[in-house]
Amino acid sequence: MDLSKLKKRPSYPFETIAVAVSFSHRCLPVLAEAKRLSDVCSATLLLIHIGEKTSEKEQHLDELMNKLGMDDSHYRVIWMEGDPVDTILKLCKLNMVDLLVLGALEKENVLKFYLGSIARNISRRAKCSVLLLTNPSEQARKYKKIVVNGAENPKTVHTISTAFYLAKHIKVKDITVVNEMDVPGLAMAIADDSTAPEAKEIKKYLNEEMEENIHSIIKKCDTSDINVINKNIKGKPGYAISKYAKDRRADLLVINSPDTHLNLLDRIFTHDIEYILAHLPCNLLIVHSRV
Amino acid sequence: MLKLVHNDMIVLLASIGGILILARIFAELGKQIKMPIVMGEILLGIILGPTVFGSLCPDLSASLFPNAGAAKIAMDGITSLAVVMLLFVAGMEVQLQVMLKQGKTAIYTSFTSMIIPFMLGFAAVWFLPGFFTFTPDRKLVYALFFGIAMAVSALPVITRILMDLNLFKTKVGMVIIAAAIFDDLTGWILFSFVLSLMGQAGEITSIGFTIGMILGFGLFMLIIGRYIINQALPWIQQKLSWPGGVLSIAFGLCFLGAAFTEYIGLHAILGAFIVGIAFGDSVHLQEREREIIYQFVTNVFAPLFFVSIGFKVNFIENFDLPLVLLVFFLAVGCKVFGAALGGYMGGLTKRESLAVGFGLNARGAMEIILGTLALNAGLIDSKMFVALVVMALITSMMSGPLMKRFID
Repeated sequence: MDLSKLKKRPSYPFETIAVAVSFSHRCLPVLAEAKRLSDVCSATLLLIHIGEKTSEKEQHLDELMNKLGMDDSHYRVIWMEGDPVDTILKLCKLNMVDLLVLGALEKENVLKFYLGSIARNISRRAKCSVLLLTNPSEQARKYKKIVVNGAENPKTVHTISTAFYLAKHIKVKDITVVNEMDVPGLAMAIADDSTAPEAKEIKKYLNEEMEENIHSIIKKCDTSDINVINKNIKGKPGYAISKYAKDRRADLLVINSPDTHLNLLDRIFTHDIEYILAHLPCNLLIVHSRV
Repeated sequence: MLKLVHNDMIVLLASIGGILILARIFAELGKQIKMPIVMGEILLGIILGPTVFGSLCPDLSASLFPNAGAAKIAMDGITSLAVVMLLFVAGMEVQLQVMLKQGKTAIYTSFTSMIIPFMLGFAAVWFLPGFFTFTPDRKLVYALFFGIAMAVSALPVITRILMDLNLFKTKVGMVIIAAAIFDDLTGWILFSFVLSLMGQAGEITSIGFTIGMILGFGLFMLIIGRYIINQALPWIQQKLSWPGGVLSIAFGLCFLGAAFTEYIGLHAILGAFIVGIAFGDSVHLQEREREIIYQFVTNVFAPLFFVSIGFKVNFIENFDLPLVLLVFFLAVGCKVFGAALGGYMGGLTKRESLAVGFGLNARGAMEIILGTLALNAGLIDSKMFVALVVMALITSMMSGPLMKRFID
């Protein structure tokens, strides 16, 4: 397989959707969500299990898929042994997966968070988009609100476009593009030598500039039938949007993939995506643009 | 026991009131000609202090701004509080995450913009001792101090310049901010280490113990203290009066941290600075609370401190032109070279790298605080202090226009 094709592969459409099969109690709801997504996106569904292939597991998986009304002509299963994170990431690359669906707990205990769970570690390192489902459901549920990160970053244009693409397919009518403002030293610089009107003007200018950037991205997306709100919020990047998504009871939060390789230090001095992974406010889609 | 009597009280209160009002007038007048606020405040101190007013009317000056007695001790106490608070708010702006997420360019720039000026400053004292004044037993401490003095940056000044040039959200802007944060962090830790090396009698105390204490306190506050503050802040905001509760706890922790580091033999500024980092890092700290803390410190205590600098020395008598030129050119040369080299190694263009160099060259209030503490500790003489103040002011003023040249 030519892996160089991955480099220029756009973040959407989702042509291949993979789902990690763990045989835990949440396995069926996660499979159901992945199946529904692959149906609406007309994508190929790939089931990945990391572990020994046994006849019991095969039979159990068949039963689960039958429950979802799928026979084995509609999906492909890959069984492989090895380190779960590395193997899943490798299989996603080899199979040109566009979206990897994983079940994830909203919050993990402190030790697990710092050591890194499988789902979180995949999210940090994946070279494809990852959907973390915090509360997967067997029955189809209507997604109502999507919150998208509008950070100033070359990746954001792909993230917002992907959010609109997904919103169209899952029929979401309400998207909020959120811009987080946090400039180190700004508050102190303003406190030092700005008059009240000057300070107000600086803040107004910053808000307008952020809104303009987002408007220029949204203009390029197909927004028909979708109510788009542009919102500027203050606070630490990652934490602020996570809190906003939680307060607004969003069904899905869409963010950029991390810019750098994240390690333990990034969890100790938490920033950006790590705030979100520390406590998932809702389902999370991490868009990997690959362009 | 020394006690504030009726007259001392009047002198103290009147001088504080007068200084605050005059400092504001000077700062606002200075702003009209694009002069940094701190420069207006220092200029006022020079006028009111021994350089001008003290020379023209020594008796009146001594009665209004006494240089001995209870009122003087009280004023010194207030300016010491001001320094601790200034370092606390400087710490609040240090965001370790910014350094972590800016990647290769910021890492290279942060490192070279700190290490090259530090090494060159150290080498200047070590190999050209004739230009500097220090006692032979303090050569190492003096060289370390001078290296740090060459390496520090001033994040608030730099942010303001980037804001005026509309650069802070650009790659160059974020690299400058990340490197300034790194320089501040390492600079203040190293400086408190240097101060702690000067034992009571100027003898070098146990280096291992000092390093252990700095690391122990720093790691405790930045990992456990930071976590506790972050967990406690929502409770403080909801259960205590607002914003009074947050302010009391913030400054309470600041002074406790300062007292602790002073107690274990490090300087009080380190405690305040590190508590500031831990406090400012909390995701629950609201923008309004941050602003109130800054306004309180930068508009009430900072002017008292910066004006008091003018009272410390006679700037005309201690203006040593060769030393001023040496300090200035060395500071500019090594900082611009160090920062630009890091930027270039990290992938910026030559012009962008130079813009980063001149951006980080602004020393501002941080250099002046550093110089004042070193003067108070008896590490440097008045001539070196004046040279550092002049260098800090000129680098702050030249930074913006020169950056603009290379960005345009």
